Amino acid sequence: MDISQFLLCTLVAAPGLAFLGLALTWLLGAEPAERVITRATQLAMAVSGLSFAALLALLSTAGAGLQASVHLGEWFRVHEYSFPLILFVDWLSLPLVGLTVLLTALIGAFSVTYMHRETGFLRFFLLLNLYGFGALLVLTAGSFDLLIGGWELAGISSVMLIAFFEHRTGPVRNAIRVFASYRACDVGLLVATFLMHHFASTATYAGLLATPQLTGTAAAMVAALLVLAASGKSAQLPFSGWLPRAMEGPTPSSAVVYGAISVHLGAYLLLRAEPILTAAPVVAGAVVAIGAASAIYGTLAGRACSDVKAGLAFAALSQLGLIFVEIGFGWSTLALVHILGHATVRTLQFLRAPSMLHDYHQLQSAAGGVLPQPGGRFDTWLPLGWRLWLYRFAMDRGHLDSLIDRGFANPLHTVSGWLGAPSRLMHRLTTSRPDPQDRKEVK
Amino acid sequence: MSTCRQTASENLALATGQLGELVARLAHYLPAQGPIGVFIHHNTLHAFEHLPFEEAVLEGARVFGTQPYMSEAAYRRDLLRGRIAVRDIAAVLEEEANEEISAGLDRRALRRAMLVPGVREFEPDTIEWRYEEGDLAGSLRAGPARALFDVCLRRTTDEPAARPATGCGRPLDNIVHPLLIRLSANYLEQGAVYWPMPHRELGFLGAVRQLMGQPAFFGPAGLDGLAGDFRDQSALEAAAVVSSKLDELRIEDPETFLRDELLALPGWAGLFHRLEEQPELAPYRRLPCRLMDYLAVRLTLVATAQVNLPEASERPVQASPAALRLMRVAALFDALAALNFTAESAQNLAPAEFHNLEREVSACHSLERRRLFHLAYERRHEREILSPIGQHRRDLLLSGQPAEKIRPSAQVFFCIDEREESLRRHLEELAPAVRTFGAAGFFGVAMQFTGIDDAHSAPLCPVVMKPAHSVGEQPHAGDEHLHGQRQWRRRLWSRLTHGLYVSSRSLLPGWVSTALLGTIPVVPLMVRVLAPRLAGRLRRRLNEAIFPVPRTVLTFESQAKPPGDAHEDFDIGFTVQEKIDRVGGVLRGAGLADNFARLVVVLGHGSASLNNPHESAHDCGACGGRRGGPNGRVFAAMANHPGVRDGLRAQGLDIPADTRFLGGYHDTCSDAIDLYDLEALPGTHAADHRCLREQLDQARALDAHERSRRFESFDESSDPSFALMHVEGRAEHLAQPRPEYGHCTNAVCFVGRRDTVRGLFLDRRAFLVSYDASVDPDDTYLKRQLGAVILVCSGISLEYYFSFVDNEGYGSGTKLPHNVTGLVGLMNGHASDLRTGLPWQMVEIHEPVRILFIIETTPERLEAVIASNAYNANLTRNRWIRLATLDPATGQIHVRRDHGFEPYEFEPLALPVAASSREWYQGKLHHLPIARIGPR
Repeated sequence: MDISQFLLCTLVAAPGLAFLGLALTWLLGAEPAERVITRATQLAMAVSGLSFAALLALLSTAGAGLQASVHLGEWFRVHEYSFPLILFVDWLSLPLVGLTVLLTALIGAFSVTYMHRETGFLRFFLLLNLYGFGALLVLTAGSFDLLIGGWELAGISSVMLIAFFEHRTGPVRNAIRVFASYRACDVGLLVATFLMHHFASTATYAGLLATPQLTGTAAAMVAALLVLAASGKSAQLPFSGWLPRAMEGPTPSSAVVYGAISVHLGAYLLLRAEPILTAAPVVAGAVVAIGAASAIYGTLAGRACSDVKAGLAFAALSQLGLIFVEIGFGWSTLALVHILGHATVRTLQFLRAPSMLHDYHQLQSAAGGVLPQPGGRFDTWLPLGWRLWLYRFAMDRGHLDSLIDRGFANPLHTVSGWLGAPSRLMHRLTTSRPDPQDRKEVK
Repeated sequence: MSTCRQTASENLALATGQLGELVARLAHYLPAQGPIGVFIHHNTLHAFEHLPFEEAVLEGARVFGTQPYMSEAAYRRDLLRGRIAVRDIAAVLEEEANEEISAGLDRRALRRAMLVPGVREFEPDTIEWRYEEGDLAGSLRAGPARALFDVCLRRTTDEPAARPATGCGRPLDNIVHPLLIRLSANYLEQGAVYWPMPHRELGFLGAVRQLMGQPAFFGPAGLDGLAGDFRDQSALEAAAVVSSKLDELRIEDPETFLRDELLALPGWAGLFHRLEEQPELAPYRRLPCRLMDYLAVRLTLVATAQVNLPEASERPVQASPAALRLMRVAALFDALAALNFTAESAQNLAPAEFHNLEREVSACHSLERRRLFHLAYERRHEREILSPIGQHRRDLLLSGQPAEKIRPSAQVFFCIDEREESLRRHLEELAPAVRTFGAAGFFGVAMQFTGIDDAHSAPLCPVVMKPAHSVGEQPHAGDEHLHGQRQWRRRLWSRLTHGLYVSSRSLLPGWVSTALLGTIPVVPLMVRVLAPRLAGRLRRRLNEAIFPVPRTVLTFESQAKPPGDAHEDFDIGFTVQEKIDRVGGVLRGAGLADNFARLVVVLGHGSASLNNPHESAHDCGACGGRRGGPNGRVFAAMANHPGVRDGLRAQGLDIPADTRFLGGYHDTCSDAIDLYDLEALPGTHAADHRCLREQLDQARALDAHERSRRFESFDESSDPSFALMHVEGRAEHLAQPRPEYGHCTNAVCFVGRRDTVRGLFLDRRAFLVSYDASVDPDDTYLKRQLGAVILVCSGISLEYYFSFVDNEGYGSGTKLPHNVTGLVGLMNGHASDLRTGLPWQMVEIHEPVRILFIIETTPERLEAVIASNAYNANLTRNRWIRLATLDPATGQIHVRRDHGFEPYEFEPLALPVAASSREWYQGKLHHLPIARIGPR
């Protein structure tokens, strides 16, 4: 293993090790002090950051192209199938890795002050480290098999950050909804990976993407499934309803997860799978359509959104939509630059969100009383009835939640009720005690 | 929807007039908080002020589903750590009615045993489990205990106890609230939204009808038919809609039903009500707000949801009779065990005695025990304040206070705010020749003020007053060009910043500002997060370089109004006579009538911080939740006015010609002190100013150090100059949820001469009002002082009390998920009620005690003064505040108990003495007892 490969490993492993260390300490019965948690996180971020800087320096002087990969062996092997542990970075993932390390470290530093004396201090930093590890794993995985691991870790830790205030019903209910959306879409990634193995017998980037392996229907199927996964992660239509719900967590976690990194992972997935997407022009067209629709939806909903955090979420959504459009058209470099700039701007805006009253007051008095409305009000071109309809559509966030409730959640509920009926019947026949299920319904 | 929905079908619609009255009455239950930008502390339970405190908190708990006191476990912890003393529990029980229960046992002994060693709390939900396999099962393992329990089990009567009605769930709220919250938020928002809600001029109901009356392919789940419903009622007034919905829902008891409906989202309903009462509170945009509109919309949604969900099961969960009985048995068992009863002695009690005992034990339930604990908790606080102050006074009298008539080096007026106590103490410690005074921070100058950078004027006076005069700040002659330049550049800056912000959130312009310019903000982002203080300094430097600062003057001379003036309601400036009244009133009220120093400084205060939507709660309460710098400045300018000096001299208040007044401003967050109009100070006073400036600078560093001892993240072995940097960093930190602790330590208000308590370490816990009864023979000034002081201080004290004892119910919970909404309030996450009250980070180190007023006068005089103000008389009678007097001549203390003032006696004690404040507090994080600071 050469130095650059070693650096690549430490870069990813550092937050994971911080998570493991803190978690083990806690499992062994000790509640680490705030100072210890802070130091551990800082150490992890510093190691990650320095490894990244050194790796970047090495790669850019080596002259062999901005690329590094390390094969760490196999996790397991079943018959033909093996799970390869490959880390890989190139021009696409390096900037995103840098951004992730930088923003996670900044949010870590921010949260040390923000979360001070909060009872969940340890839990927050456990989740933040786990999240950092998951996101880095997604970005540095060298195969889709391994990418799933990071994808799921980032997903579950971000959902648990939404439910951070677990003693209240609101955050938990919303976190479950986000989780359900994630799970539904993650199926896409899972099945896509199966299909890759089925069609090409490999899911490593080197084997699958370097030379076009998938063509025609195979490519279209895999690409469509990847788009499903990416749309869920990046809150594209029709899954956008979860994005404002994710604002229940502490502000810094909203910033890093939903402003900066997590929502861009879907875009990264598509950028990574670009060769497959290119082989399936219909799906690429669909990406453009999904992106454009989401962008318009995001900007509409954001225009009629009165709370600052959800407003930022919708603003993020409209840019994410544009990023999807760029990807669909195959403008990868532009999409990458857009991701970097967008993540930074949004993080800063999320961090400033609690100071909104202060900022607005300053702006307003500096403007001499009335802040002029910048930009046009395109809705005023419409006839009144349409305008009201559009406003209502925007205010109710496109009725997306109702759509999912009516079209998906409620039917599923009904079906699961039928499926449960036999067991309830059995229960009633075999025991005399009241069914716990029945009692719940009374409440 | 709740238990109150009946199935009776008779027409019960109320007449609209009656309904209006009913809703107006119910509106009192709503929080009085207005838009968050101006935060006024007030009694959270203002609706129950007509009741005695101890009844009111129970009533409030019942209506709002909140906690009246801290939890029993919290009091028990305080008992263990010595914060609650057993002797105070005894004293509290001593004051309450006693009764014989059985031979040799009375109520006092029983209650005392139930507090110390104490009994456990039992709840219907868990009692069975605890009995079968929990802690109760554990304590019954020993034979004698089991025997005693069996006696209780056998002898406890089967009387049907009143079942605690646990509230039933409100399943409809889950359907109604998301939409209702969004509608309310979008209606009330103040201009930060790109698309304002259409038709807001029609009022809430009108706008919602227009909007929701539109046909849609599908609306929110569970609200089918809503559009038709809104269209059908389009001819009806709001009250008629409410009335018809009451009918439709077949409500038998409209009062309870409407109360529950209003209290389902008290924050939003309260804001509608507040803006209906005081439309001028809207920060940027006045909107027609009517609570009845809100109610009409709400009930329409509820009725529609009800139709769609008719079978919503609403059976309240009730505890089983067996569990309730077991609970009574367990409580009785614990009480008997605490009284050292054995199975035999319990068995031997006569039936009547046993019955008595049972009744008394269930009367001393958990709430009652918490009440007793709380009274003891407050009593301990009272002792620890009154005895040292009484002792100190006694020592002063004994030592024969020298009648010093040396001219002070300077006199400094502060606000009465308890946060200024430490600054005053440090100033006096390092400059003994300086004398300090406390006066309500608007310094008698109630005005509508427009600062040079302000777009709008704002009232700077207590909220109960309406200013009649307006004052403006204008550029100094010769600096007009700087002013013009500054305002022009500020407008440009504002347009740019706002444009960038808005464009980054829109679609195509957002593409430019994120994709092309996006990575630029990473540098300021890093500096702001990693070095907040440096970022703040850079920003200020940059500001000064870009925006030139003109010298300014205040236009406070009375003048004729120009026609068509925007401030028609106000007189411009003050006439000489009005100035004389204000200056004379404040000086005499504070007992400053002679021996003026060459320099008299009048310091207003306020607080600036980031990451703090509650910023205004840290500003000056006497200035209506705003910053009081201009008041100090105007007061000083008035007092320097030659005409005013002449007028005061004619009244016998002779201010020497060489006395100059200076206005100033103290930022309680960063501990910065600015003095105004220094260029107008004559050269003869330059040396005085230099000297005082130096003393103030030292004092504010010491003050910062003392404040910082409360912050865990501060290393307090470092020296004061570092502390100053620490608090400056807090004010600038984007992530800091505790820029300052605000009024968190308030507990006492002392009204009297500074000399009486000067040199005592009061730990930033006492409001200090300067007042000298000897120059106020007919109590005019006391009446005036207490009129404002009791209102402001009790409001702060009670708001902190309630926000602390039930932070989720009365306060706004932890700050971390707060989300600024519509520039008017805060939600948790994206769709919750508006959070009112104080967040946990503001109250976490608070001790919930009712404020203790100590007034340096006699009980008779105070009784008369209190009786002259209906509000104060009511607060006093119902014990929302605690009152004590300190006789100005003899030093005798009287405390007001239930039946009037009683002399307060205490054992002579030796006050702890420390050479300096720092010596006393160094290394300690918690509240500290009073000590004398000075030579041993």
